[in-house]
Amino acid sequence: MNPEPFLQIDRVIHEKGRLAIMSMLAASPELSFTELRDTLGMTDGNVTTHIRTLQEAGYLSVTKSFQNNRPLTTCALTPAGKRAFTHYINLLERIIQQNKPK
Amino acid sequence: MLARQRFAMQSIGMESNWAAEHLQVIRTLMERSALYRRALAPIMIFNGVVGLAAAALGWALKVGSPHAFILYWAAVCVVAMTGSFLLVRRQAIKDSEPFWSPPTRRVSQAFLPPLAAGLMIGAVAWVRAGSAPGNLGDSSGMVWLPTLWVVLYGCAFHAAGFFMPRGMKVFGWAFVVGGCGLFAAGVPGGADPLDCAYGVMGLFFGGLHLAYGVYLYFTERRRNET
Repeated sequence: MNPEPFLQIDRVIHEKGRLAIMSMLAASPELSFTELRDTLGMTDGNVTTHIRTLQEAGYLSVTKSFQNNRPLTTCALTPAGKRAFTHYINLLERIIQQNKPK
Repeated sequence: MLARQRFAMQSIGMESNWAAEHLQVIRTLMERSALYRRALAPIMIFNGVVGLAAAALGWALKVGSPHAFILYWAAVCVVAMTGSFLLVRRQAIKDSEPFWSPPTRRVSQAFLPPLAAGLMIGAVAWVRAGSAPGNLGDSSGMVWLPTLWVVLYGCAFHAAGFFMPRGMKVFGWAFVVGGCGLFAAGVPGGADPLDCAYGVMGLFFGGLHLAYGVYLYFTERRRNET
């Protein structure tokens, strides 16, 4: 088996929690912190840690604002994040193709 | 580099369908993130109560002329939509979420054409009811409009159902099939058309909403508990 696609897998995205966050953001222009937390059933701390990791990798941008005097944190994929996510999906597809019986 | 090689070897050693399962999880999450879920049970229950109360009140007050009937239900529609808007807004504020989120926008856009059609047909009927009493003002005129509203409302829910949990499309179909069935059946012999019209409005806009709202309330609560 060709190990090349496996070597290219982005380990920042590959982690389960971060992949879930990236997947949700790939389908929506932006999502609030609470939407991510509630839909994924994660704790505040967990989501914060994953968001920070993705932000440090340059995959995610975080905007803090106020709505009705309450803080509102929204997250969105950056162009680099969209590219990395697309690349990750392509790699998975390549792995599937590779494993298909000929 | 060594760690990367080890990671690759571990990955190769995993089950062959690992990547496919990963893609499936990604697809599910992407679909879920695009779904509208906000305050569904409270909105349904609120609209159900408003629909039932309005049908009972209109029937008791004998709001009978086509003009009054259309205006009465237009006012009820305004009350229901305002209440729904406030419920959605309250939920958004409570959850620290933007009100005009992408799923809310998609659902609103899907709802708009059939609801606008219902409004325009209601307006045309209101204008013509006065000038054509033998047409829209006759007995059948009091029933075809509610059944048409029911069908259009079902179409609206079915369209919005693509961006909502799966049950919403079934809910839309219930309106479409029920409305068409009633349209085919017409007014039963001997029945008062006015009673039938209020019955249709109460049954569909009141009863169905309330029943589905109660169902959603309990299923959502059970899901939250697990």
